[in-house]
Amino acid sequence: MSKDEKEHIDESSSPRIVEAPRYGCTLSGAYEAAVGLNEGVPILHSGSGCGMSQLFGANYGGAQNAPGDYGGSSTPCSCLVEEHVIFGGEDKLRKLIDSTIKISTGEFFTVISGCVPSLIGDDVDAIVSEFRDKAPIIHVNAPGFKGNSFEGYELFFEALADQYLTPSSEKQKNLINILGIVPYQHIFWKGELKAIKDLLARLDIEANVLFGEFDTVEKIQKIPSAAYNIILSPWIGHRAAKKIEDKFETPFLSFPGIPIGPIQTTKFLRKLAEILPIDKTKLEELITSEERRAYRQIEYAGDILQFDVPNVYFGVVADSNTAISVSRYLTDEVGQLPDIIIVTDNPPKEYRENILKELTGSEEIGFTPDIVFEIDSYKIGQILKDRPFLNLYASSLESVIKDELETTHVTVSFPSYNRVVLGDNYVGYDGGSSLIEDLFYDKAGPL
Amino acid sequence: MTKKIKEIAIYGKGGIGKSTTTSNISAALSDAGYNVMQVGCDPKSDSTNTLTGGKSIPTVLDSLRKGRGALKVEDVIFEGFNGIHCVEAGGPEPGVGCAGRGIITAVEFLKQENVYEEYSPDIVLYDVLGDVVCGGFAMPIREGVADQVYTVSSADFMAIYAANNLFKGIKKYSTGGGALFSGLIANSITFGAQKEILEDFTKQTKSTIAGFVPRSLTVTQAELSGKTTIEASPDSEQADVYRKLAKDIYNNKEEYVPSPLESDELKDWAESWSDKLLDLKKQEEGDFKI
Repeated sequence: MSKDEKEHIDESSSPRIVEAPRYGCTLSGAYEAAVGLNEGVPILHSGSGCGMSQLFGANYGGAQNAPGDYGGSSTPCSCLVEEHVIFGGEDKLRKLIDSTIKISTGEFFTVISGCVPSLIGDDVDAIVSEFRDKAPIIHVNAPGFKGNSFEGYELFFEALADQYLTPSSEKQKNLINILGIVPYQHIFWKGELKAIKDLLARLDIEANVLFGEFDTVEKIQKIPSAAYNIILSPWIGHRAAKKIEDKFETPFLSFPGIPIGPIQTTKFLRKLAEILPIDKTKLEELITSEERRAYRQIEYAGDILQFDVPNVYFGVVADSNTAISVSRYLTDEVGQLPDIIIVTDNPPKEYRENILKELTGSEEIGFTPDIVFEIDSYKIGQILKDRPFLNLYASSLESVIKDELETTHVTVSFPSYNRVVLGDNYVGYDGGSSLIEDLFYDKAGPL
Repeated sequence: MTKKIKEIAIYGKGGIGKSTTTSNISAALSDAGYNVMQVGCDPKSDSTNTLTGGKSIPTVLDSLRKGRGALKVEDVIFEGFNGIHCVEAGGPEPGVGCAGRGIITAVEFLKQENVYEEYSPDIVLYDVLGDVVCGGFAMPIREGVADQVYTVSSADFMAIYAANNLFKGIKKYSTGGGALFSGLIANSITFGAQKEILEDFTKQTKSTIAGFVPRSLTVTQAELSGKTTIEASPDSEQADVYRKLAKDIYNNKEEYVPSPLESDELKDWAESWSDKLLDLKKQEEGDFKI
């Protein structure tokens, strides 16, 4: 690899100061999961600022999304102050949960403990247990200092498995759970999950995607019945999958990211067909017709792709999931050349080799891009300077330096303050075409 | 002009006799005509019990809980033996909340409310739980609170261990203008060897001994009747010990940063004493008992 070990940064043990990392604290990830559930009610046991910062940091940063009825400024919070630090906040939390369950029309309650109760040792598990017969409720012990948003996402699933789910008597062979896409943190989460679900439904596979779905409680309860957990990330959701495997004997299969474009999508479906009851004839028919359609569709972009700059260099600044899927699509299917890929979600060291392998696995070009694991936005800005790429797939943080970098900018990763994403996504046979559409949004003009 | 108030913090491992010692110092100084304030910084809230006839007084934190705005200084300062101003910081029930933050809040309250200007004590004694388990219990040695720190220690290893930890805390805060060390108060001294152990410890840590307090039944008797020795047995030898200690402490100008031992050094040092004690035991069988 062109970059050496020093770029393998373990932020959790690093004392360095970082400018604008592209994720929040552990509480943030647990909150994102809790409000990512439709009718999911987060109950924060924390200082009041912990909730408000999620509104601006996680929700608005997550492609300018409002968090709905139960998140943001409507989040029930124990708003701990000095009195609770000294004497404990258990009593206030008890009253908060009680009143929330009484007045809320939500369906699933997630109590999230922040830094204060974790430091002073509030027995939140005991308080939450008092309400188990009153509403579907879990406690995620997620002190912010424990890690980042992705840690919070894993803790959410671990809490679900330990506190709420019960083993199913029988596995449902055509049912799978989808893991690895973190609400808000992966800015296309709603669209991606729905697209995966719709794609698999065409092959009679039911994808239980949980987030953004209705009938939340029923969907959650189905988790142990799934035949497989399918992870769409090279590292996020892996702990959750292992937990569910330990508890409910559900095996898991991991993909490096969401499938973008025909090559990745076909590979994804064929791999699933090896383990799931997918009708092979039906699968091949789907692949043939979808590939034909998708390739005909992208042909319409053939001229502009060539008139612009053929085999243009591109850069990527994104979380691992997005970085892998976007880079490989552009390299393998569009003929663009990866110049630099900056991975921003700080994957643990043990997963990095595999991420590098996925990023450099293309046989379409005879060289490898520079790959950097970096979480500091200032450093990312510096690294991007004086490079040959003309297109940059990154976050809104890079959009402000696009003139300086003399690049076309497409926001594909967190944070996305300059792009509203409701259902947009790049999943599946049409996903690649959508990415190309976005690339030329303000490049193809002006008249 | 505001007069200079002498503020000292007395630390010590739980149960080592620091409240007894502190209260007797307060009583002795008060007897000698000084205006004294004693602030108990232990969630047990019993530092000043022997100054108030064995009764517990409402704590700063109890009162704060009822409403910060409504809290008056006079709600938390009580007159004890001979007009000593008694304050208890208070804290949560065992096992809940954060006692350390409680100490910080209580001390900050006293500072913010200008208690010292209002009551104008000559000396303020903070009686602090001495394990310095977190930043909260180090509050009295930070800049702007106590000037001098003492520790009460017996010759037991765990008490010395706590004293050594306190030295680490003092060293840490010394660069930022925190309180400095002024001496170890050797408590419950019965045998010569105990004295030697503490003398050797202070030598190793470049610190000093402020005074020796022998173990005495008079103290126990006084405590059981809810009084200090100074109040209950003013003519006893033990009362003289406390009077001398109080006078020495009031006049003590020594302030320095001690040199705490590293854990390995402390362990090696303790082991060396274990061997010496065995030798002593052999030599003085019948006289010296461990």
